[in-house]
Formats: sequence, structure tokens, C-alpha cells
Amino acid sequence: MCRIGAIKSKKYLHPSIALKLMRSQQEGHDDSGFAFIMQDLGGIFEHHKDLPILSMAGTVEGTRKAEDILLNLGFKRVLQWTPNINHQKGLKIEPMPNYMFEVVQYPKSHKYATQEEKEELLIDTALKIRKALEEDNSGYIYAFWPDTLVLKEIGSPKDIGTYFSLWEENTELCSKVITAQCRQNTNYDIVRYAAHPFFLEGYTVLANGENTFYEKNRLYQQNLNRAYIGFESDSQCFLYTLHYLHKILKWPIQYYKHVITPLPIEKIEKRTDKDILLRIKASLSHLEINGPNTVLGVLPDYSMVCVCDSKKLRPVVIGRNDDMVVMTSEVAGINELLPDRDLSKDIYPTENETIVIKEDLTVERWQQ
Amino acid sequence: MERIETLNNENRMSTQELLQLIQAKIDAGCTDFEINACGQHNIGGSSWAKDKSKTLNFVLRNPGQRVGAMGMKGTFIVVEGSVPADTGWLNSGAEIIVKGDCGDTAAHCAASGEIYVGGRVGARSGALMKHDPKFKLPEFWVLKNTGSFSFEFMGGGVAVICGHDCEKLKSVLGERSCVGMVGGTVYVRGAVDNVASCVEILPLAQSDIEFLASGMERFLSKIGRIDLKKELTNWSEWHKIQPIAVKTSQKRMSIKEFRETEWIEGGIFGEFISDDFSVHELAGTGDSRCRIPEWNKELCIGCNICIKNCPQKAISESFVADSEKCIGCGICAALCPKSAWKMVNNNKEITK
Amino acid sequence: MAAVKVNELHREDLPWIIEYDESKCIQCGKCTAVCSFGAISPCVEMRKKSGNIAEKQNLEKVLVVKQNVGFENHCVGCGMCTAVCPNGAIKAVRNLDDRYAIRYRAEKGESLKRGGRSNLNTEGRTLDKIKIGRISQMTDPSLDAIRHTFEIKTPFGRVLSADKLGFDVDGNNIIQSRTLPPNRWIYPVIFGDMSIGAISSRMWEAIAIATAYLNEKVGLPIRMCTGEGGIPVSLLKSRYLKYMILQIASGHFGWNRIIETMPEMVEDPAGILIKIGQGAKPGDGGLLMANKVSEYVQEIRGVPKADLMSPPTHQGLYSIEESVQKMFLSMNAAFNFRVPVAIKVAASVTSVSVYNNLLRDPYNIVGGFFIDGFAGGTGAAHEISLNHTGHPITSKVRDCYLAAVHQGRQGEIPLFAGGGLGQTGSFAADAFKLICLGANGVFTGRHLLQIAGCCGNDTEKCNACSTGNCPAGIASQKACLTKRLDVDKVAENIVNYMIATDIELRKLMAPVGCSTLPVGRSDALITVDRHIAQRLDIQYSI
Repeated sequence: MCRIGAIKSKKYLHPSIALKLMRSQQEGHDDSGFAFIMQDLGGIFEHHKDLPILSMAGTVEGTRKAEDILLNLGFKRVLQWTPNINHQKGLKIEPMPNYMFEVVQYPKSHKYATQEEKEELLIDTALKIRKALEEDNSGYIYAFWPDTLVLKEIGSPKDIGTYFSLWEENTELCSKVITAQCRQNTNYDIVRYAAHPFFLEGYTVLANGENTFYEKNRLYQQNLNRAYIGFESDSQCFLYTLHYLHKILKWPIQYYKHVITPLPIEKIEKRTDKDILLRIKASLSHLEINGPNTVLGVLPDYSMVCVCDSKKLRPVVIGRNDDMVVMTSEVAGINELLPDRDLSKDIYPTENETIVIKEDLTVERWQQ
Repeated sequence: MERIETLNNENRMSTQELLQLIQAKIDAGCTDFEINACGQHNIGGSSWAKDKSKTLNFVLRNPGQRVGAMGMKGTFIVVEGSVPADTGWLNSGAEIIVKGDCGDTAAHCAASGEIYVGGRVGARSGALMKHDPKFKLPEFWVLKNTGSFSFEFMGGGVAVICGHDCEKLKSVLGERSCVGMVGGTVYVRGAVDNVASCVEILPLAQSDIEFLASGMERFLSKIGRIDLKKELTNWSEWHKIQPIAVKTSQKRMSIKEFRETEWIEGGIFGEFISDDFSVHELAGTGDSRCRIPEWNKELCIGCNICIKNCPQKAISESFVADSEKCIGCGICAALCPKSAWKMVNNNKEITK
Repeated sequence: MAAVKVNELHREDLPWIIEYDESKCIQCGKCTAVCSFGAISPCVEMRKKSGNIAEKQNLEKVLVVKQNVGFENHCVGCGMCTAVCPNGAIKAVRNLDDRYAIRYRAEKGESLKRGGRSNLNTEGRTLDKIKIGRISQMTDPSLDAIRHTFEIKTPFGRVLSADKLGFDVDGNNIIQSRTLPPNRWIYPVIFGDMSIGAISSRMWEAIAIATAYLNEKVGLPIRMCTGEGGIPVSLLKSRYLKYMILQIASGHFGWNRIIETMPEMVEDPAGILIKIGQGAKPGDGGLLMANKVSEYVQEIRGVPKADLMSPPTHQGLYSIEESVQKMFLSMNAAFNFRVPVAIKVAASVTSVSVYNNLLRDPYNIVGGFFIDGFAGGTGAAHEISLNHTGHPITSKVRDCYLAAVHQGRQGEIPLFAGGGLGQTGSFAADAFKLICLGANGVFTGRHLLQIAGCCGNDTEKCNACSTGNCPAGIASQKACLTKRLDVDKVAENIVNYMIATDIELRKLMAPVGCSTLPVGRSDALITVDRHIAQRLDIQYSI
């Protein structure tokens, strides 16, 4: 099982908070990996919010290849950051030789490009780099997008934290949105791409559980968008569905639930919007999930979303105070971060709900 | 009082280490623990004091899943805040108090002891609770509400869901509660919606009120909310849910009745044919016959072989085959020495 | 005694031999009375009493039951005589040295016709070599088939991809501004499509009653396809029309009445099914022998008493594009685009091409694709077609589904599979497996007849639907036979069978962890046959 967490804060936070959030949930996962995504960045990235950041890990050859591709396309390096590696002996981690986080300026050709054109360029570039890295297995690209930083590694989350010196708080590396997950994809081969959170064009998703409709989802998604690739984990399907619905179809987030866990016909028949819901159910039946899942997501406007499967088979709880909202699998994690919060304000999402945490941390609860 | 800290900077004591440490201390005679946990599982479960005259007492901060799981008689656990899933799983006699909320499947399979929750409990809570009559009845008290699918497959014991602070909820038991419930009782205060069809919602009997009245004060003082006593003891706001005692098997309307009362009058072929829908037996008489005998007077010599041998005694002295008796077997035709009987195919169609 | 010649039909040539035990016979006459084929008769046999048989007084007459020998009145092994005999004195036994088919052709210069199904060996049946092997064990919880909720429904009608729904967004809500093709959610089993005439009035009505009852009293939204033999006006005018899928085939029988009745319809039909072909006799038109064209069948179809041989193709349709425009457009227009219009074809090497074309049709007027495999049944066909033409259903459904996947359009034209489902006794399992391979649902005809009491099977038992002498009153228009059938009992048996099927479908969905229909979940299937695994792209397990 995975343990997942998502934090949204009014103040900048250091990723050590994610390690602390997940620490108490250790027996809920299997101590096999740690990955996190930081969005709405502060610290050294705060002044480059509009510029894309390449997040990758690779061999010397791999990172060089990626840089070459960027340079050839006309991107210019603005800032490079690498984690402070602690080579302490005995750490349970399988590190890559290099970790690269590089802020770049758009090519001159895109100086006056529209937002859409820029996004196209970023996707094309990311796909190109991924392909190049896959050719000789020389690395992994996790994101190439503004204001977003992704790190994934195999091993014990605590030791991964130590290796990257993430336990020591600093103001250099911080953000207002942090999503994190513990565990590698131990059902199958250990593959870095299979670790949540998954990211695509400003959308982040973490999921807990088995997607029993993976085969259906995958076959349908593979034709929907050129960026829907990989499928190393059945949970990637949740990201692609979210992206498709919200970014491509431009449907309100409330309809995500109607796509992944559509209501039974007899319930739909009683509603005034039945015509729409029946159409959605038929048209997107291949994106239904039918297994046990909790899905946490971050949208491009940095609002956070939480939904569960229709049988409520996976745990999740949301705790909050005035400055921070924390969604995670087990309340023990929230108790670590916010021990003095008002417990009665905790939210236990039901099988019918979509919970959205808006920019100002207000909570919207939508019943399906 | 034994105090255990489970965090040392970023190093966390694993569940296994903590449980072994607790057991070692119990073996050394300790009975009272105060544990600052960090999500470790199964704290307080399946242990007993070395000195049987004593009880085991735990005060916990931030335990993980399955607090008091497989808890035994003589174990007392108090958790100050909220806990994750499976609180009191397979409880076999412990008293477990959670002052905050419990995650999903609280009291799952609880078979004895008491679980007192000062907040909410999650989905599938109370599932498969049961009661072995040789042991004390399991009790599961919840101040607020449960998540959906609560009390699935419940087989025994008592749950009390007080519905405090739940005025806005459509159902204090969530949706699809009590599916497959075969035994036990769920007392509930407040709105209930969409429970399984195998249970019924009943008003309280005097004995129910006595049970609730005697337990409510105890419950509220355990969770430190005695101030709510007045609010929660207005028994007119309470109901109980039990499996339907005698199942009245709902019989579907027969097809015959459906055809005669709801189906198109006279049958859908009524415009072409008249069919009374009577069913002919195999080898029947009259119109059911595949073949009908015809007698030719000219050929008959009056030997009466046909009359004597007809298995249905259908042929009269004047050689008329009685259609109410004749099944069209053809024996008359076979035996007639002069072929005076001939079998003619009955190709009649159903008509108006 | 008549002279016997070599070049005549002999008892030993027939497919079934009557075994008659004279010592048990009490000469009650029931066996000869019940035989709708006239295949047995009481008969006087001359037996030797003493001395020389050339002397008449040395012979005695004995009454026995004798098997008749003739092309029109031979035993088909239906077993009715055994059923009525009080003493078990009579029985039809399969003749392994049967020469009937060769004699028939040699004598008549005609092709042999019969009803039933392709009499092929079913031991190697693909569906039986597939198991549901992906069971929820720890990865995810399996469900409780009896106590949890399941939704066993599928869309019927054209489904548009989400980006073509033309939805507008108003704040947090989606609004629908344009008219979309009709689409209904139905139970994934469709009864059909057997015409009035091919089956008796009672059998047809029993299916119609069962359909209405399943919808209104049981809650299973099953639809019935009418077949193309006309439809009684009383049904067209009734509210039950909403459960009926009207069929149009190459004969267009009865459509004048349907059109005529339109102004008086209180409900739209559930759909329209354009039948291009049938699995049991692909490439061949409908066939109704004159002996079944009774008076009311003549009236409802608008034809005289004659062999009705529909053409193999709709006159005037020579390409997929023309079909789409003429048939689909017209049928959609007939009910002002409110009723889904689907097509049924015999499974064929070409099915994928057809499906691809329909999926790409820009007018979105094709609401379902029914593929009928070669193990499907028929009321009458040339045996040569029955036994030697056609295509199995399993790989064809898979091919069509994967073709849609390749286009990224799976689910847009719902796929329905039929032909020989339940052949080896497991209808629900067959349906489930086909759904996992990509079908949205299944359809079944002959299985209903077997539920109703048809005594035929796939090893040449009875198969006499074409003769009009159906001993069960199912495929006959004779009053004496039709009235053997109990409408209420047949409807009840069908209702019960579907309730059982519904439970069994849940018993298969539950361990896979599905509460909704697992369309395309081929990952749930395994097979012990390497070739099947490879062909269907499912896991090979040994």
C-alpha cells in the first residue's frame, strides 16, 4: 500500500515537513521509496516562477544529453540547483549519479509565443528528453514545467531524506504546495517512473490503491493525448483522466468524480442533470475506476483536490489550521504536523465527495 | 508509570521495536504506560499484566492503526486525540477510549469489551461485530456519526451512535449501512437514510431505554463530555436497528396473473387468432391430436375389431370416434382388415 | 410383402432407429399419437406360428409399433414417444451408420434443409477454454455477490467521445446545448431475434411477456428484438413497445404495419436492428418454409402461403456507405432520431472493416454493432450453410474491440455478441467472458427456445424447426402442436433463468472486484491454450 500526503500552506515550507508527515505512517507503506513534488516555489526559485524547471536524475551521460537537447532547442540556463548529497554509509537508498534541477529561459523563438505555444514546446521537449534517456537507460525526467520541482528515489524515506539533506530545514528550498508519497511500485519491478506523485502540465496526482480498471483506462488513454505515456503504474491513469477532463475538456473539477466513479443509473435518473450525467457515464465509461482508491491532486492554480472510490475502501483524512491544510492517508501524520488543531474541523471525505482546497485555504465540499 | 518516547530526532522507533519494548516491560512487571507514539500500530493489544490481579493501563498520544487490536480483558487504553483505521479490531475484552475520531473500520470484528469514541468513526465501522454468549457483550459507543457501509455483516453486540453535532447530515450512519447484518443492535439518534433492506428501524422499548440510560453517563464521563447528557437522553430522538426478525419473502406476481391483469388483453395475437392459452397434454384428445381417424362406411364390413381394440374405447357401435376420447393413435387403422379407417393429418392452425 | 430394392430409402439409412420392446408395450397408442412427424405407426406384423410360412394359417397377426421410412416422415430423435410411454418400451437411438443426408440429396436433387445450430463438435469451444483468472486477492478486495450492490447495465445507442458532446461550462456546471444521438442503458442481454412465423405465436408471446415482466416486476431492463416477421399492432400500440427492438431485414416483412401504426404509438420502440446477416447461415437470407406460413403469418407479413426465401442482401444496398445512408438514416429519421438504430451482421473475416467504417461514420447514426457467430441457431437453413459457413464469435468480438481501441473509439458503437451462447450450459460465463473481451453485451435466441423446452441439440437431435412439426410447439404453426406449449410456464422459465443469470454474472464480477460491467477487461481472463492466448491477447496460464 502507498501512503500519500499533500500539504498546502500560506507560508513557504521546507520539504522536511513531508518527511515528518509520512514518518508516522511508515508501517502503512513498505519503506521502499520516497517521492515528492514541490509547487508554488519559494526560496531560490521564487523569482523565476514563469520559467520552466527541468527535474531529472541520470548518469553523467544522461544529464549531458538532456542539457544538449535544451541548448539545441534554444533554451538558456538561468539557474541550476542540486541537492546537497550526504554520502553517509549504510543508507538504504539506490541513488542515481546525478540529480539536476535547472531553471531555463524560453528560446528566443518563443519570446512572443502564446501560453499554449509555450506549453506545447515544454511537452515536446520533455517527451524528447525522455525518449533520449530511455534509449540508453541514462536517466529519468520527472517534469519540465514552471514552478515545479520533482524528486523521486528508491529506498527508505528516512534515508532518502538524509541522503539529500532534506531533514535540515532551510529557506533555499521551499514551496507552498508539497505532495509526497512513500513506497515504490513493489507490485512489479521497481521503476522510478512508477512512483507517485505523477505530474503533467501543472497537474499532480497521488493515489492509494489498486486500479482494477487499469487495462480499460490505459487502452483508452493511450490514444487521447501524446503525453499519456509510460503507464508504469496503474495510478498514472488517475492523472491522465484528471488532465483530460480539466485541461483538455475544460470541465469543472466536480465532474472528475462523475467520470471515475459514476453514480448508478437509478440515482442519476432522479436528478435534474441526468441527461448530462448519463452521457458522461457512457462516453467516458473506459475511464471509470472500480477499485479501492483515494486520489489526491493539485491543479494548475494550486488548489488541492481529494476524492475516494465509491466504496470508500482507502483511508484519507484532512486536517487544517489557519495557515495550512494537510491531506494524508492516516491521521497520525497530521497529528505530527498539527497537534493542536481543532479536531472537529478535520474532514473525513466520504465516497460521494469531491473536496477542493482553494487558494486561500477555504474548503469546498461537493456532493456527487 | 512507564513513559516511552518513540521519536529521537528523525529516528522513529518501528512498531516492532515498540511492541517488543512494551512486552519486555510488561514481563518486568510494569502495568502503566504513557506512550508518545508516532503512528505505531497495534499498541495495547493482546497483552496482559503479569500479576493477574492488576490491570494494564495505557495512555497514548498519536498511535497508529489498530489501537487495542485483539485487546484483552483487563486492558484499559485512553487516546487523547484522533486515531487511524481499525481501532479495537477483534476487541476481546479491552476498554478503549478514543477522545477524538477513529478512522475506517473501527470496532471491526469486536467481540467483547467496550470501545468509546468521543468523535466520529469512519467507513465500515462496526463491521462483523459479534457476540459469543459466554463472554461479555461487546459495546461500541460513538458520540457523533459513522462513515458509510457501517455495521456490514454485523452478527452481534451493541453499537450506540449518538449523532451529536450531526444535524446537517442526511444519515448519521452514512450510506448503505447494515448490509448483511444478521444479529446485534445499533442504537442511533438522528437521521438515518439508505440502510440495507435486511434490517428494520424500530422505536425503543423500555429495556432499550434502560440500557442506554445506564450506559450514557458512563460513556460521556469516559470521553469527558458529561455536559452532553441532557442533549443525548431525549429518548424520543432515538431508534434502534435490528435485522428483520421474520423475513416475509416477497412473492412476485405470477406470470399468469401478469398476463391476465397487465398484459395486452386477449394476447398480442388477439387481432389474428383466438387463443385461450389452455395447455394440451401430450397425446391428448380432440384438437390436440396430430392425426384424426376417418371412417369409410363403404369399406367397413362390421367386424368390430377396431371397436374391441381401441385403447381409449373411443369408437362407438356406429363407428364414430369420440373426439373427447380418441388420441389419434392409429390402432384402428392398423388393425382394420379393409382399411376402412384412415388417419388424416391434423394441420389445423390456430385461427380466430 | 412389397419388394425391396437397393436404391430406396431403408430404415437403416435413417439418422435415428426406433428401439421397440414389444414385451413391455401395452398397446396404449400414446407413442404413435404423440409423434408429430408421423415417424412411427401402429402396424400389424405377420409372425410365424408353426410350419411353413408360405401357408397362411401358419402365420399370426401381431400389433406392434413400427418405424416409418420416408423423407417426410422419419424419426428425428425428439424423444416424445419415450416421454409418453408408461413402460419405457420405446426409444429413438442414434444410427451411427446413417446415410440419410446422402440419400436425400441423391433422391431429391435438393439441398438439405433443417433448423437448429451448426452441428459441430463443441469440445474445442474457445469460450470454455477461457477462465476468469484475475481474482482479487489482497491487491484489492473482492465483493460479496449477494450483499453488495452491482450495476449490470450497458449503453445501447451511439456514444460520442467526450470532446464531441458539445458540452458548455457554466460556472461549476456543465450544460448541454445540442441534441445528441439517442442512447439508453439496458441490461447486457438482448433476447432475439426470432420472427413470428419461425416460432409459434405462443413462443413469441411468451418471450414478449417475459421481457415485459423482467422489466416491470424484476427490474432487469432486458430488451427483446422482434425478428423480422411483422409485429402485432396491439403490441405496437402498447406501452410495452419500449422494451422492443424492431428488426428490419432484407424481406422488410411487416414494416408497412409498423409505419401505419406510428401515429398511435404511445412509446418509442427500444431500438431498431437492421439485420444484414445471421451467424447460422451467413450470406443467406431468411427462410420460412410454406408449411409454417399459416393464415395469420400470411396476413402479418403480407404474403401468400409459399416458401418465403428472403434475399441475402437488402435490395439496393451495395456498399457500407449506401447502407449507412439508406438504412441507418431512414430508420433514424423514422422515429425522428429518438431511437437507437443498430446493425446485426454475421461474424465474418470482414467484420472489422465494417465496424471500422461505422465508427468513422461522420453522422453518428449507428447505435450498436451486433455480431452473430456461427454457432447461432436458425429456424431453417440449408445444412451446407449451417455446417460449413461462418465465423466463430470470440475472436471476432475481440478483433472489433481492438480495432476500436486502435482508433481510440472503444465503446462509441456498443458491441453485442451472440451465437451459441450457453451451448455448453454456462450462459452467464459465456456472456461475462465476451464482455471482458470487449463486448458491451450479448444476445441470445436459441437458448431461449431451449429454456422453453426445445428438445433439440447440437448433435443432430430433432433440428426439425423447418418442418413445422416441432414436437414442443415452439417452432410450429399447427394448433395441435402450438397448444402443447404453456405460455405462462415458458415465460416463467425465461424469467427465472434470467434471474439466475443475473446472480451468476454477479458471482463472476464479485471475485474480480467489479461492481460495474467489466467491458474490455481482458486482464481478468486467462487461458490454458497458447493459441487462444496469443490470438485474443490474454494471459497464457498453465
